[in-house]
Amino acid sequence: MTIAYIFALTFALAYGITTAMSHRASHVLLPLLDIFQSVPVLGVVPVVFLIILGTGTGTTPPPEFNQEVASIILIFTAMAWAPTFGVIAGINAIPTDIKEAAHAYGMHGTRYLRQIVLPAVFPELVWSSILAWGGGWYLIPVEEHLSFGQPPNQTQVDLPGLGRFIALAALKADLGLALFGLVVLVGIILAIDRLIWKPLGVRAEKYKYETVAAPRTTATRQSSVVAGVRRYEDRLVSPVLTFFKSERSYAARVLEITRLKRIRHITERLRFPERIGRIPLWGRVLSYAIFVGLVILGLIVTIMSRSQSIERGISLLATDVTALELIAITLLSLSRLVIAYAIALSWTLGAGILIARSQKLSRLLVPIFDIGQSIPATALFPLVVILLVDPFKNSPYLGFTLNLASVLLILTGMQWYLLFNIVGAVNGVPNDILEATAAYRIRGRRFVKEILIPASFPAILIGSIQAWGGGWNALIVSESIGPNVSVPGLGSFLVQASSREPALGAVEIYASLLVMTGTVLIINRLVWRRLLRKADRYKFEA
Amino acid sequence: MSQASEPILQIKDIAKIYPGEGKSTTVLDHISFDVYKEFLCIVGPSGCGKSTLLRIIDGLDKPTSGQVLFHGQPITSPSPKVGVIFQTFALIPWKTVLGNVLMAISSASIQKEEQLKIAQKYIQDVGLEGFESSYPKELSGGMKQRVGIARALALQPEVLLMDEPFSSLDALTAENLRREVVDIWRDPAYPTGSVIMVTHNVQEAVEMADRVIVLSARPAKIVDDVRIDLERPRSPRDPVLYDLADRIISKIS
Repeated sequence: MTIAYIFALTFALAYGITTAMSHRASHVLLPLLDIFQSVPVLGVVPVVFLIILGTGTGTTPPPEFNQEVASIILIFTAMAWAPTFGVIAGINAIPTDIKEAAHAYGMHGTRYLRQIVLPAVFPELVWSSILAWGGGWYLIPVEEHLSFGQPPNQTQVDLPGLGRFIALAALKADLGLALFGLVVLVGIILAIDRLIWKPLGVRAEKYKYETVAAPRTTATRQSSVVAGVRRYEDRLVSPVLTFFKSERSYAARVLEITRLKRIRHITERLRFPERIGRIPLWGRVLSYAIFVGLVILGLIVTIMSRSQSIERGISLLATDVTALELIAITLLSLSRLVIAYAIALSWTLGAGILIARSQKLSRLLVPIFDIGQSIPATALFPLVVILLVDPFKNSPYLGFTLNLASVLLILTGMQWYLLFNIVGAVNGVPNDILEATAAYRIRGRRFVKEILIPASFPAILIGSIQAWGGGWNALIVSESIGPNVSVPGLGSFLVQASSREPALGAVEIYASLLVMTGTVLIINRLVWRRLLRKADRYKFEA
Repeated sequence: MSQASEPILQIKDIAKIYPGEGKSTTVLDHISFDVYKEFLCIVGPSGCGKSTLLRIIDGLDKPTSGQVLFHGQPITSPSPKVGVIFQTFALIPWKTVLGNVLMAISSASIQKEEQLKIAQKYIQDVGLEGFESSYPKELSGGMKQRVGIARALALQPEVLLMDEPFSSLDALTAENLRREVVDIWRDPAYPTGSVIMVTHNVQEAVEMADRVIVLSARPAKIVDDVRIDLERPRSPRDPVLYDLADRIISKIS
């Protein structure tokens, strides 16, 4: 995972700096990035395994080394996008006067890069790294234990790690073991979060360009965070009781700032659609061409390596699956996403409003949510299998519980994005607006309706876009919960494709991935970007 | 202005102490004064707690001890008879000019049509006719503050509180708006009796006020209470004003 992170970071810096510094390059690189990040990461899993491990199919399992390479590449695909957007946003945020001053004092080339660009990028890199690691953890439970290929010559990927541990526990239907693995995983994630990212984040503050003070997190609070971190570090070695005490106050303080930062990062990221809209046609066409080219290249490599002809695969696909079927399963998957989204939106909006209205509740709930969101949704899957699927194996309700399980799993992949965006928005309502509404006695339901909900509108949109991204991702795993336990949909189609006859399987995987990416892009264009244009009015002026 | 025998507002022994880790910070140190039908300015060095005092007077903030009486009744929450104007305008970005003004009076028990009429009248009075359906983003700073003023006036308040209302504006706009605010306040058609304005601009205070209360640096105490009985309209470049300002500035520093 660390190796993948180093690769992702290098990629992010190179790609980001080229995009932000070269106007011409950005015409191609920006839309390309936008397409790539729309591809559900989990959908890439079978493709990577096809390509990397494809050579070794047959009776002999691929060597350990190949497996590790494949898993690193996968984690890379999950990690790379957030820091890349972070780098671009960081460079774009360098104020013009600083750029001009650097120019006036003769800073060029590597000196400019080292002294201006890298420091400017640092805070964004830290915050987006938190997101990147989250994406990485998400994959761990999936990619460490994977089987694919037809049963007789099945390829079993088994990498020693926590992910496999949890997956195996689920296979054995051992609730205790699965829970234990989950607790250890969350423990590691939280520890890394506290010990590495949050102190780094506090340091990153130094490199931020001064703009208007962020609402309600002013200088005093920042210094108390530094103090909190120091105290926290001191007490790490002291008795357990004091540890828990300091952890609580530390967490409460840091959380709020972390949230705000993450929100800011995400808002930056969401400006890209606007910028992409201004890109000339040739840039867009070229970027799509590159993407399609890469897909075709992948297809050829996959199929060639298995000494199969493309024509055979396509003709097999044509006889096996009709376009109508593909549309039908896409719609089925979509309906699951819509249901999960509706549930997620309603509970998170309620929770967001509650948090906004009561400091006490906020202090109680936010740390709980933080732990909740640090659990990678994929790690929960085995638990759901044990609780919702196994007990109903032979009952007529199986269809219902399966669909319920699938929606629940999608929900875990969606809800946190919405929640934290909404919480950030309600916390971000400027103080003067709050005072004005109090002075003019706007309270209760009117306050919620006229102030809180409109104020969270942009955040709801941003959260929705991310939630749908997470939802598609979760879909791939959630529809095919275990062997012979699946509900019809695009996700299960994709998973089943990997255990088909090789040529057909490869084509099917690509077909479903393309449909999925296409659907994501279409929904982005038709729904979210249109709404985003309206969201401008609901932003507070800086 | 004539001074009625009954004070409209009584600020009684207000103290504000923020508890901190180890030691607490005293912001307001037992402040008392009465407010009559007058234009009162509160000046003091930045960070001395002027704005906190104003918030306490409106009931937006609670004092650690002491109380504020409005016609003898203690104020604990914002009153519909008090209008507030903010330094940062505090306009809701997704409401139009009309919407922002309406927001002040929509909780009162007035008919919708009547509300609309009142709002439109005050939008006209501050010179924003024709901008009713504009959004704050489309307005200049001066125009935004005019919306803020219209919103406060629409309440037809007895007391108007202003927190550095001109310090986010450019000098020229501020000068015009100052004159207009004084004119509106002197117009007998408006029911507003007392204005309390907080500012760190001493020149602005002596130009506009009947009376200036001078606060010290934190913890804030009243160090002077200056009456200014100059004829109105005043010229901001009147040498007498400069002398008064100098006297006040020497008290602060």
